[in-house]
Amino acid sequence: MKRRTFVGAAAALPAVGLLSGTARAQVKEIRMIESGGKSGDSIEVGYIEPFTKKTGIKVIRESPNSLGKLRALVESGQTSTVLMELGSGTLVQARNLKLIEPIDWAAVNPAPMFPEARNEYGFGYQYFSTIMAWRAGAKAPKNWAEFFDTKAFPGKRCLPDFPHYSLPFAVMATGVPADKLFPLDVDAGFKKLNEIKKDIAVWWKAGAQPPQLMKDNEVQYVICWSGRVVGDPAFGCNFEGGMADLSYFSIVKGSKPEDRAAAYKLMYEMSLPANQAKAATVVSYTGPSPELDALLPKDKLSEFPSSKQNKAVQWFQNAEWWAANGEAVNKKWEAFKLGL
Amino acid sequence: MTRTNRLEGFGFIAPLLVLMVVAFNAPIVYMLGLAFWEKGRGFTLEHYEGLAEAPVYLRVLGNTMRIALIATIANVLIGYPLAHWMRGLGRRGRMIALAMVVLPFWVSILVRTYAWIVVLGNGGLVNRALQWSGLTDAPVSFLYNELGVTIGMANVLLPFLVLPLFAAMIRIDDRLLQAAASLGAPPRTIFWKVYFPLTLPALAAGALLVFILCLGFYVTPAILGGGRVPMISNLLDTLINQIPRWEQASAISTILLIVTLAIFAAYRRLDRKASA
Amino acid sequence: MTREAIGGSPWTRRALAAMGIFGLVFLTVPLVIVIPMSFSSARALTFPPPSLSLRWYETFFGDPRWMEAMWTSAFVAAISSVAALILGGLAAYGLRRGTFRGRDWAEGNFMAPLIVPTIIVAIALYLALAKVGLLGSLLGLVVAHTLLNVPLVMMVLGVAIREFDQRIEQVAWSLGASWGYTMRKVVLPNLAPSVFAAWIFAFIGSFDEVIVTSFIAGKYETVPKKMFNELILEVNPTITAVATLLIAFTVLALAAVAFVLGRAGKLKETGV
Repeated sequence: MKRRTFVGAAAALPAVGLLSGTARAQVKEIRMIESGGKSGDSIEVGYIEPFTKKTGIKVIRESPNSLGKLRALVESGQTSTVLMELGSGTLVQARNLKLIEPIDWAAVNPAPMFPEARNEYGFGYQYFSTIMAWRAGAKAPKNWAEFFDTKAFPGKRCLPDFPHYSLPFAVMATGVPADKLFPLDVDAGFKKLNEIKKDIAVWWKAGAQPPQLMKDNEVQYVICWSGRVVGDPAFGCNFEGGMADLSYFSIVKGSKPEDRAAAYKLMYEMSLPANQAKAATVVSYTGPSPELDALLPKDKLSEFPSSKQNKAVQWFQNAEWWAANGEAVNKKWEAFKLGL
Repeated sequence: MTRTNRLEGFGFIAPLLVLMVVAFNAPIVYMLGLAFWEKGRGFTLEHYEGLAEAPVYLRVLGNTMRIALIATIANVLIGYPLAHWMRGLGRRGRMIALAMVVLPFWVSILVRTYAWIVVLGNGGLVNRALQWSGLTDAPVSFLYNELGVTIGMANVLLPFLVLPLFAAMIRIDDRLLQAAASLGAPPRTIFWKVYFPLTLPALAAGALLVFILCLGFYVTPAILGGGRVPMISNLLDTLINQIPRWEQASAISTILLIVTLAIFAAYRRLDRKASA
Repeated sequence: MTREAIGGSPWTRRALAAMGIFGLVFLTVPLVIVIPMSFSSARALTFPPPSLSLRWYETFFGDPRWMEAMWTSAFVAAISSVAALILGGLAAYGLRRGTFRGRDWAEGNFMAPLIVPTIIVAIALYLALAKVGLLGSLLGLVVAHTLLNVPLVMMVLGVAIREFDQRIEQVAWSLGASWGYTMRKVVLPNLAPSVFAAWIFAFIGSFDEVIVTSFIAGKYETVPKKMFNELILEVNPTITAVATLLIAFTVLALAAVAFVLGRAGKLKETGV
């Protein structure tokens, strides 16, 4: 008698486990760390709103993001944050450091996406470009050789204080075409930068600096992110030879399975062109759908990084090369700045 | 009061000590310990060897110390006369001046730093005044270089020098100076042989404190340096957030900390002398 | 036999005054710039402002995110400053009056948050708080801010306690007063201005802390974190409005305290 009740009880346990398991898997909210500012707002407007409406799950956003934060998150064994925004280079680094998990694309089941946005470890949710820009009225350069020619195009420059955003353009200015850029001739790039270094007034670390400096007339030519300067009559800009890049969302290592499932549903929302069009109204960056061009305002197509016309003249960042060589290049970068 | 009790007063510091050890010491030691550890291989000095092989990071540390020294000297050159002048003011004057020295603390350091951009920029107040008065005809570069960073840091840290210096100066009895005068000493001698030596410990202590604070400064060099003034905090930020090579960052921080602690020990000794 | 004999010739004294006034101007330039800029109608940080307007104050008060940041900052600053004051004050007293061994080590340890580079403190605290599950919590923020502001409190109170003649306390004890009574009726009233100054430094220190907060605050926004993010992402004169409001608040608080203390005649006794 005792044995039967015991067996009966033992048989009932998995059923109870199953019930409580699904009860436990009822996620109320998930957390993401993103880069903040208008970009974060675009995520809220374009993707989080429809996601929360469909699933009832809230998304708590936190900013700013950095590889350091991701490393600290994983090393401390926390499991509360599931989504992390990463740049292309940091994505590769995070992968190499085993800080993120591969994405189960079958579970995401996205709408059609450009292939480069569908990374094994990240969902490329936002195209952005790094391009040349200048103060309205300054002589307009047509390519990088002209941009780096301070005699024919006099004026102060403001360049990114990040070797992976500055060096490739300097190398292109020496005549190397975009498809032959990598592996990067770092020394040629530094040589070019040294040539004009007394005309480089500021090295920016914050995306808001270049437009502000141009407005203050501290500098006349900048290399900056496209969303900051397109559509503004105070600036001229040119996507020619610009660098297209993607921002990704990745799954933090050690995330709970129910959080991951919710995150995949959010990623699905990020793949829908209608949502991407909404996001693009907040900030001039585009989502990864090939059908997005049709939904964007026609007169503004030239402002978006992945619109057909702009994609044609740009080149794509080589994240793998930077992940392998970034640290060595950074040492040279610091030495270069000490000599400024 | 007998002074034989070796534990006398310990209870006062116990609560803070517990909080410190748990919430500060332990995490910091862990972070710095990373410099001596390699995952899977245990204790190692290779991170320090790496620093010695590619000394650019050490050069940034040296650069930081040089800039901190210049900023400290600037602080002393501005702060000492200010404190001395304040000492000579009447009660009301002293209070107003003191308020003006302390009030900048209430302005966020971010806003203060950005205000300097408005003042020192190419189209800023100083340049406009210089050009209007005819002293120069092209804008002078005050910003996005070492000069801007030095000015910004001096501005933020000046109260840290002026306040203790002023406190020490008002403790110097006027009668001492009058006695020297009545003995026939001219004002210059009174200042350099009597007054200045008495203020020296407080001055030195304040200068050391300012120097230490300059070393760890992040916000002002980041904003006013324009990326052209490599200092150690910004380098550590890159190493921790961008690369991320925490082991290297920890190794550099440990070196920085040892240097700073040595300076701090000197500061404590002088501070005690100043109050004697 | 007074000013001339000690201070030197009128030229020397005038030169000194010039240097002193220069020093004061140098210190207060940002203040003078920031306050008018907050009333500017221009969108960028320009001076002098093209015309006056209250739009940045409207933006600030009308934005629920700024209000939330203000509330979080005020909350964390209030609690952490009081905690820093109590813990730091007790510790300063113990260090000055105590005779236990290892005082120098203890003092060095308490000063450490000022000396260790902030970015290292930020990561160390991030790891530690994450391990105990306090990451992104108000408690974690309060603990961090308390630690960061204790050195300032100890510096201010350390000087004041050292200046305060220990014999006065000893007289009270020898007359039979308990420790608590001595503290309340003898020590604290005399140290009141320094205690208040120490508290203000801790409060402002917490309000102004940006780097560690950026790391450990999680979804909570504080005023400096929001300011820093805005400056990174979009330069905006709202921050000048915030700064002016903070100045106004502390000036009013200081004036109120000075009024109360002045009435009680305490200001005379501090000998400033």
